[in-house]
Amino acid sequence: MDGQSMGEDWKIGVDIGGTFMDFCALEANSGRMASLKVLTTPDDPGAELSRGLDLLAEREGLDPSRVSRFVHGTTVGINTIIQRKGAKLALLTNAGFEDVIELARLRMPEMYSLFCHRPEPLIPRDMIFGLPVRMRPDGTRVDAPDAVEGVVAQARAAGAQGIIVALLHAWRDSRQEAEIRAQIETLAPDLFVFTSAEVWPVIREYERTSTAILNGYVHPRVSGYLNALEARLAAKAVPARAMLTKSNGGLMSAHEGRRDCVSMLLSGTASGVIGAAWLARQAGESRILTLDIGGTSADFALIIDGAVQFGSDELVGEFPLHIPSVSVSSIGIGGGSIASVDAQGLLRVGPESAGSTPGPACYGRGGTRPTVTDAMVVCGWLGHSEMAYGQLQMTPDLARDAVAPLAQAMGRSVEEVAQAILDIAISEMFVEVEKLSSRAGVDLRDFALMPFGGGGPMLGAFLAREIGMSRVIAPRRPGVVSALGGLVADLRGDFIRTVFAGLDRDTLPLLQDHFRALSQEGHAWLVAQGHTGAVDLKLSADMRYGGQSYEIEVALEPDWLHDESKMAQAFHQTHARIYDFDDPAGRVEVVNLRLSALGDAPKPDLGEAADVVPADPRAVSVYIDGWRDVALYTRASLAPAATFEGPAIVTQEDTTFAIPPGAVARVDDTLNIHLEFAK
Amino acid sequence: MFDKMTLQVLANHARAAAENMAHTLHRTAHSAFVKETQDFTVMLMDRRGDTFAVPMDLGATWYPGLTYGRAIDMVEDYRPGDVAFTNDPYSGHVATHAPDTHLWKPVFAEDEIVAWTGGHIHNTDMGGAVPASLSRSLTEIHQEGLRFPPMKLVNEGVFDEQIMRIMSTNVRKPDLNTGDIKALVGALNTGERKVHAMIERFGKTGFVSGVAALKDQAEAQARAILQQIPDGDYVFADYADEDSDEANPCRLKLTLKIRDDAAILDFTGSDPQLGSSLNVPSGGDPRHTILLVGVYYVLYTLNPKILLNTGLTRPFSCIAPEGTVLNPVAPAAVGMRSLTCARLRSVIFGAFAQAIPDKMPAAPAGNNCIINVMTRDERTQKTVIAAINPVVGGGGGMPHRDGTNGSGADAAYLKNTPIEITETEVPVEFVRYGLAQDSGGPGLWRGGLATEMAFKVFAPDSRITARNRDRSFFRPWGTGGGRAAGLAAMTVNPDTPQAHSQGSKDTAILQPGDVLAVRSAGGGGRGNPMLRDPARVARDVACGYVSVQAARRDYGVVLAGGAVDVAATQALRAAQPAVSKAFFHFGPEREGYEAQWTDAAYDRLTDILAALPIHWRFFTKTEIFRRIDGSGPDAVDAAFAATCARFPELPYHGAMQEAAE
Repeated sequence: MDGQSMGEDWKIGVDIGGTFMDFCALEANSGRMASLKVLTTPDDPGAELSRGLDLLAEREGLDPSRVSRFVHGTTVGINTIIQRKGAKLALLTNAGFEDVIELARLRMPEMYSLFCHRPEPLIPRDMIFGLPVRMRPDGTRVDAPDAVEGVVAQARAAGAQGIIVALLHAWRDSRQEAEIRAQIETLAPDLFVFTSAEVWPVIREYERTSTAILNGYVHPRVSGYLNALEARLAAKAVPARAMLTKSNGGLMSAHEGRRDCVSMLLSGTASGVIGAAWLARQAGESRILTLDIGGTSADFALIIDGAVQFGSDELVGEFPLHIPSVSVSSIGIGGGSIASVDAQGLLRVGPESAGSTPGPACYGRGGTRPTVTDAMVVCGWLGHSEMAYGQLQMTPDLARDAVAPLAQAMGRSVEEVAQAILDIAISEMFVEVEKLSSRAGVDLRDFALMPFGGGGPMLGAFLAREIGMSRVIAPRRPGVVSALGGLVADLRGDFIRTVFAGLDRDTLPLLQDHFRALSQEGHAWLVAQGHTGAVDLKLSADMRYGGQSYEIEVALEPDWLHDESKMAQAFHQTHARIYDFDDPAGRVEVVNLRLSALGDAPKPDLGEAADVVPADPRAVSVYIDGWRDVALYTRASLAPAATFEGPAIVTQEDTTFAIPPGAVARVDDTLNIHLEFAK
Repeated sequence: MFDKMTLQVLANHARAAAENMAHTLHRTAHSAFVKETQDFTVMLMDRRGDTFAVPMDLGATWYPGLTYGRAIDMVEDYRPGDVAFTNDPYSGHVATHAPDTHLWKPVFAEDEIVAWTGGHIHNTDMGGAVPASLSRSLTEIHQEGLRFPPMKLVNEGVFDEQIMRIMSTNVRKPDLNTGDIKALVGALNTGERKVHAMIERFGKTGFVSGVAALKDQAEAQARAILQQIPDGDYVFADYADEDSDEANPCRLKLTLKIRDDAAILDFTGSDPQLGSSLNVPSGGDPRHTILLVGVYYVLYTLNPKILLNTGLTRPFSCIAPEGTVLNPVAPAAVGMRSLTCARLRSVIFGAFAQAIPDKMPAAPAGNNCIINVMTRDERTQKTVIAAINPVVGGGGGMPHRDGTNGSGADAAYLKNTPIEITETEVPVEFVRYGLAQDSGGPGLWRGGLATEMAFKVFAPDSRITARNRDRSFFRPWGTGGGRAAGLAAMTVNPDTPQAHSQGSKDTAILQPGDVLAVRSAGGGGRGNPMLRDPARVARDVACGYVSVQAARRDYGVVLAGGAVDVAATQALRAAQPAVSKAFFHFGPEREGYEAQWTDAAYDRLTDILAALPIHWRFFTKTEIFRRIDGSGPDAVDAAFAATCARFPELPYHGAMQEAAE
């Protein structure tokens, strides 16, 4: 250890995407921040982590033993589901209800197609075993302790690695599930067991069971991965306790993640939104539409008045995830989306994608069909510098060759077609944004767009213009916003009790009991994550009017649990805000009581205006209804208070920011670029 | 002419506007019909009232080809801010039963109407004889609730409070109607704003010519599909189990005439208009959207990129003679037309299945049955009325895949209610909710399985209605060697000595402790089941989808300890009789029925009835059914002669002449 690193205090956020592992490293004392992308090594998971730490040591002088914080977001769970490589599971459920998983909620996408179908369940029907047990809604039970042994033997004989126990009404009373679980643990100690109530004890049997199945399905791979991760960190003598980012935008310890696997399935997209929200706050913005464009999809999220939005029906691969998750909308249009001309001569983009292999034609990795990225290259917005820290090279001729057949088919120039491809891709995203904003009931003209990821800044400003948004904020390091999100996230555990009762005086004692139990759980959870600082408990309830079959989450103060009129008032107000009407005379029901336990994380300080490398812009040719000269800036040359006008291009190691005509750009103190479109 | 290169940009803006309208309505509506069942539509229309954009995520699937033109023309002097509406199935032929309330709003650009925004909601109740305004037993439209012919509901932004008061006075849940209608007006306003934004983006001329190009594009796509289909006449008939409380079958017949890139759908030979509410009010419009819903499914299945708008209806022309079930005249009741519409879709699927056998699936279960219960909660001493669950069946076997189990094909939009929610809110206890073994039609690709639901009640005289129940007698058919599916059934106290089948009835009264089991039909099988991969059959048996006995009987697969006995299977399959050359397999019930009611006999019946005055037709059908003895056209003539003898008032001269020809 040399003298210089003695006083250093490093905090590292790491996020794995499809192609790269992103590093965001902050030296807390100096405020110095470094970012890095390392190609993933699917054959040797964890090797990219060692490589990244080595590179940080080499380039930034990082001393692993000076790492006080290590936060990791991983796609190992979601990839296990998408690739269908999870554990072989058995499901023990009530006899007569074995098909609940296959029927799901009946409704399916593609409803105009006679070929519509649901995804193949993660547990096939022959691994689902009905037990002649039942809990009735009034709490009375039919048990069959003798039936478990035979079923477990069958499951084991069929090769089950783990067992999910999910019984009707376990949301109300989890003991029946717990007793069966105890029996299994005695009968088959080598099988892991999860009960539906321990994973997420919410009313609605399909949702609760499928959440437990997702948890069990990824459990062996996730815990294996986490073991390897901790071993790598130990080998590098990193003292920090490994933390994981969660779908709820918070953190938990890697240790917790071994059993609470389902909580981290959407961690990457969630921490991207957390990172963007934090950057927006630093830049003084509170209403944001985030945009992250990858090779195959574009993800959107809303930040309303500084608050990230949560949902409980996000999709994981083909399956809905019913735990609280940062709400992100996705559309299958990205840099790799392929353009084609249909039989009637209409130009279209997607849904086919060249993905990351072979990728866009211009990457020269075997792709020959024209993609959105190729269209950017043909128009001259891309291809002037190396990409992804020098790990990708672009060959503009290959992009032109790919677009040429379409141009020929349509009798137009290659540039015209390329520009139309971009217009269409943006209009596809526009559809998704319109859905998102109308669901949320917000007018996006009051919002700023924050593009991030490798692809967001390429198309973000065009999309903002299409939506009629007048402002865009491009952060300094768009490629590592997810990794940064992990660094700024708080510990966050979510807890729920289903109540399902009318809101009246008689219900209050039950609510108070639940609150006490939830608070204890929350405190215990934070302690288990190693948290010693301040604790913030956020209470809320899922409420609805009698007769409604959907509920909304209402933030509550704990002392309102002693006054049903305060709870009702909060519900009416929330209902009016979301749905534009309320019914103050209506009967109110409380479906769930929820509690989030937050442990505050130390927030980094961004003080990085130092590394400006002055350089003059150069002129490059860009096609905007015709070829013209456009100024190309390097990001490192843009100092605070710099201003310039679009059209322009800003290049940096991990992305290219394309700025259309009509925009005025200004650089702020933390090196964000703000665009303003003239009204 | 709009530039084709960027037409998709306009298409996306139009779709975005429609999606925005749908989400706005869904978010702000009050009733479960709109919020949960999603029984609503929204659309953008061109200056003539032809739909050019609909949402793809939310709402019902019936109206991408709807034209509002006739209804629009029945109101005069539109001004900015006006909204007009109607729910009358017999004015303008936009609404197809009284609960469906359609609204439309002009979009002005420089004093000129350049577009309309529109949509419908299904009101929970519109008054009339029964709660929810729907019952199969109703016989005239006047019993089905209050009707408003096309008129203005909002004048330059101001609601007509007189109309709202009349409605509130006459319906059972006025707050829901008012809330939903206001939510729909909000959605129309949103759509209007979005159209203005499109006009700003593309210019007025660009917008108008672009909208025309979108319709042309959909038409070209539809014609391209038709061109791939061999020219010919494809004839198909299917039956609803019961035409009314009289309980005779109702036949729908289609001659699909494919000619190059166009098609005629001739429904001549379908039943006369019925003395029940199963009539489908198309108004005789050759391109009425309600007659073409099955066509949308076919076109979308063949080309999932097809634009859904009125352009795709242009190559099609329907013939539905006046006074028949598909074109009733007032005051025929129409409330329960959804049951008939399900059969109408299967007739269209059956005709296309003959035209393009390689590309079409076998019949879907085709009974979108909704179970409602009225019982008493012994804990609260309150009467509870609740919708339990839809009981729908599987899709038909597909060209390269088994039919979807439990629901699918043209019933994919329905959603169920969790058992835990129902049991907590309604005093019923579920005994079973799942898939019914051996209910999918056997085939190289098996039909999707039926859904089976059984529940127990605790209070005396608990009343159950099973709306749209069908397929208890006529099975969903198999194709290309595939077999028909299992039948729907409704049984009180199944698997007990007191078991009582409800036949085709759609109601039941239960006493404390009674269990009611409701099963849908399954989906038809596709291709010869004897050619199904034995490993797939073994898998079906392992999963409980198919019994060991059915594996042997229907698939010729012999299993030993769960594994395929290869030698025994080969021997059993080799010993099978030759497969029938018939393209369709209907099952013994329809085969038995058609032994008497041959195609020629039923054609004779519909010919006779068509020649009678409309108000005599259904009566005469019922009387002929009462009297028929023997089979074939002669038996029909004899039964008609006997009917004429019994009812000398019957103005039969024309009909006898027809029959003699």
